Amino acid sequence: MSGSFEIVLPIFILIVGAFVVYLLGRLLQLSNRLLAILTIFILVVTLGVLLLQYLNLPEIIQQPEVFFGLEEPGGILYRSSAVGVFILLIGVVIGILITLYSGEYLSRDPRYLVYYPLVLLTFSGLLGMFTSYNLFNLFLLTELTTITASALVAFRFKQQASIRAGFKYLIMSSLGTMTMLLGIYFVYRSTGSMQLVTPLEAPDEFARIGAACFLLGFSLKAGVVPLHTWVPDVYGNAPAAISGLLAGIMSKSMLFIMPVVCLRLGISQAELGAYLMVFACFNMLLGSVRMLGQESLKHFLSYSSIAQTGYLMFALGMGFYYGVDQVYGVGLFLFMVIAVMKCLAFLAAGIYRHYAGTQNIERLRGVSKHMPVIAHILSIAMAGLAGIPLLAGFTGKWLVFSAALLTADVFAVICLIVFMVSSVISLGGYLPMIIKQYQPPTEPGRLFPGCTTPVKVSKWMLYPAEFLAVMTVVIGIYPSPWVNLVSQVMQWMMVTL
Amino acid sequence: MRPYELILPGITLLPVVGVIVLLLWKNATKRQAAIVGIISESFALVIPIVLLTTLRRDGAVFFSIPWISNLNISFSLSLSWLSITFLITEVVVTLAAMIYSLGEKTGEKNSNYYYALLLLFSLGMSGTTLSDDVFLFYIFWELMLLASVLLIVGWGTGEKRYKASLKYFIITHLGSLMVLVCLIMLYVNFGTASLTELILQAGTLPANMQVFMTIFFIIGFSVKMAIFPMHIWLPDAHTVAPMPVTIILAAAMLSMGAFGVLRFPYSLFSIETMQPFAVWLMIAGLASEVYGALMALAEREIKRIIAYSSVSQMGYILFGLGTLTLRGMQGAIMHVVYHAIVKGLLFMVVGIILEVTRRRNIDEVGGLGNRLPILTVCAAIGVLGISGMPPLGIFNSEWLIFSGGFDSGVSIPLTVMTLIGSLLTLVYALRFFGMIFFGKKNPESLPEKSPRALLVPTIAVTVFLVIEGLLPGALLAWATNGLAELFGGLFL
Repeated sequence: MSGSFEIVLPIFILIVGAFVVYLLGRLLQLSNRLLAILTIFILVVTLGVLLLQYLNLPEIIQQPEVFFGLEEPGGILYRSSAVGVFILLIGVVIGILITLYSGEYLSRDPRYLVYYPLVLLTFSGLLGMFTSYNLFNLFLLTELTTITASALVAFRFKQQASIRAGFKYLIMSSLGTMTMLLGIYFVYRSTGSMQLVTPLEAPDEFARIGAACFLLGFSLKAGVVPLHTWVPDVYGNAPAAISGLLAGIMSKSMLFIMPVVCLRLGISQAELGAYLMVFACFNMLLGSVRMLGQESLKHFLSYSSIAQTGYLMFALGMGFYYGVDQVYGVGLFLFMVIAVMKCLAFLAAGIYRHYAGTQNIERLRGVSKHMPVIAHILSIAMAGLAGIPLLAGFTGKWLVFSAALLTADVFAVICLIVFMVSSVISLGGYLPMIIKQYQPPTEPGRLFPGCTTPVKVSKWMLYPAEFLAVMTVVIGIYPSPWVNLVSQVMQWMMVTL
Repeated sequence: MRPYELILPGITLLPVVGVIVLLLWKNATKRQAAIVGIISESFALVIPIVLLTTLRRDGAVFFSIPWISNLNISFSLSLSWLSITFLITEVVVTLAAMIYSLGEKTGEKNSNYYYALLLLFSLGMSGTTLSDDVFLFYIFWELMLLASVLLIVGWGTGEKRYKASLKYFIITHLGSLMVLVCLIMLYVNFGTASLTELILQAGTLPANMQVFMTIFFIIGFSVKMAIFPMHIWLPDAHTVAPMPVTIILAAAMLSMGAFGVLRFPYSLFSIETMQPFAVWLMIAGLASEVYGALMALAEREIKRIIAYSSVSQMGYILFGLGTLTLRGMQGAIMHVVYHAIVKGLLFMVVGIILEVTRRRNIDEVGGLGNRLPILTVCAAIGVLGISGMPPLGIFNSEWLIFSGGFDSGVSIPLTVMTLIGSLLTLVYALRFFGMIFFGKKNPESLPEKSPRALLVPTIAVTVFLVIEGLLPGALLAWATNGLAELFGGLFL
């Protein structure tokens, strides 16, 4: 092994941190909150290292020879990825918040000891996927992410629904990774190599089939319709913090790894763009229509997540199909705001579950009397996701509209119409959900029987949710720095793509 | 930036200060909250009046600071003759509604939030009239909708209010999306969100794009104006909203749609681009006028009668705008102001009737004329006002609108039909007045007297309506100055 160790340092910290957290927790019998603090410490160190990497990115992208690993044939190479660093920066911040949240959320769960190491390992796998430039290594890291995430989904293993969701995620994700493995076979057969450092110059049919396998695998993991069937069960039954992590970061980040791999293996930008735009329409329509009839808040959020995956695919698809770099930047911005708002919505839903003991939307009617702050927070998240002005989602909507109209092409305009239809249908879901929280309850006294004063929500759960709610407003009111940030990342990414 | 330009943002920022004070002052009584609300809102009235001298001298007052600089979006406001007419109208209506609120039960719970939302509702409308940046315009446009929905959900009447507010939000949001598409098309084509710059450049857009945008703008704004058949949100929303909110919705917010038509397609494109749409606008105006009047005639619920009358009155405004003549459009702008006063008065009257009789249907109340003489006089003036009787204001505006229709040469028969259709207004207005005040007495619904706190603002508005009708000169001059901004200065 040789090269610049800084590239893999965050992965190293996360993997070592996972074992340290587990061992310390086991040996010293640390409490849930102490383990949460320890995990936050590790995530903060990782964040610091990622920030340093981010600051050094201008230099690193000028030096493509900077790597870590073995350069010889069959060797494994890791390289810094601008998008990977950006996504992980957001991911780790969200990770810190959900860990803080879990400090209370898991207070009734004796299995917290394995929870935090699994979270750290999931992040290490995800970061590894962005930095690995070897197909087999990518496969292994994808599996690492899949297995750890499955374990997190099925964390509450005494609940049948959780076990079912965990299995479903494991099976569907494994199907995705198996498809990728098949893809590796085709690529290896075509090129005799598994490296991803440089794009294939003259990809033959086998390489392209291999690329298509990867496309399919990543689509499954991202929840692209019709491969989305696992999404509602998994997000709906996983612990809320994990649903937020999966819906906000993990699944959507697959859409950013997808082009890195597929474009290097022979799929053209136009093909990838067209694929994303066509299937984005299915995601947008199915997600927004199916969310309307849901009884469970988390299932409702799961279907809305499918629609948001569609919005993201639409933005990225336009970027590739029309070859407009700025449009790809819109995708990055959208990823950031969806991560913030989606995670916020799931955290708020989890707080309801934790205190009110229900996810049923009808039973939550009138919940604002007991939990006014959480009702306001969930309303901000929903309004943001609906694209109401002065919240983060509106800037995203404006940018997507601008991007689609900038292309001045019929294909983009058709997709834009679907986008508009989907956003109006979604309103029919978000608004009643917001309103129901403030309506008089259908069965007074059923929620919090005998309780007349507002429920006191633990600060461990409240602060992360409040932070994300503030971010939703701040990004909405003053999006300039965030737009600058994604523009910068997009420029760096285009150099390395 | 000149000193007087610095006070322009006060129209939007000082009400925001009021909102912050109200949100922080959780224990405020209704009276305290109302005082904060009224004082904050008064700045939005005083500042434009202070800036009138400058407006006369310079023609417009601008304020601009960068906001999202990397997207070329700024916080830009401009006070022009076109905007000041709409601005003062909506601020006066909001102030009247705030004062009227004091006399009724709405907002007794969570008064601070109630008045904060009224301020935000008004802020949305003021911002809409003042925005000189399309991004900012849309934000204020949606703020207006959001605040009004929250007011209906929070303080409206009956379980039906949830469905009605949802319907109102989704339908008007659909219209807003059509407007948004056009705003972003402008932004993308010229790389700027500045409306002043867009007005200078929009004429260079390809003709088919201008036509497309005109259609989208007109349909989008017509939804807000509740023009038939895009009015379906209005009757329910008006019925379930608390009376002060209904007053603002009907008297001020609907006309924001007319402002949108004037501010965008009419300011951006040439009269030649608009010409093919003229006859369609007039037909839509006529249809709305007649449909609204017929529905008002058929309705039993008192609030819905006046609500449908708004659909009808907006038809006159659209008809006036469709004439594309100086007189027709002067009439349309004047009609916005007169309609605001008359509609405000009629809803105040309805509010008192509902308050004292506790009945919602017109056939359940009757014979109030003897019991409530002052209210009867106010209602009579309001009814005569909406019917276009001289010397009350709407007579002036309708005169100009019909003159414009005949001037336009587009369609004389359409103008004649609109003129005849206006008789329907007289019929539903007289039915409304006759049944409530001189109809068969219902002993169970006969009140002793009108609540004074509600009657005083009603009388004030009645007096204002009479004076305004007698002195149309200033308003006509403002409307004429405002029209000079349209079609590249065609009416200069």
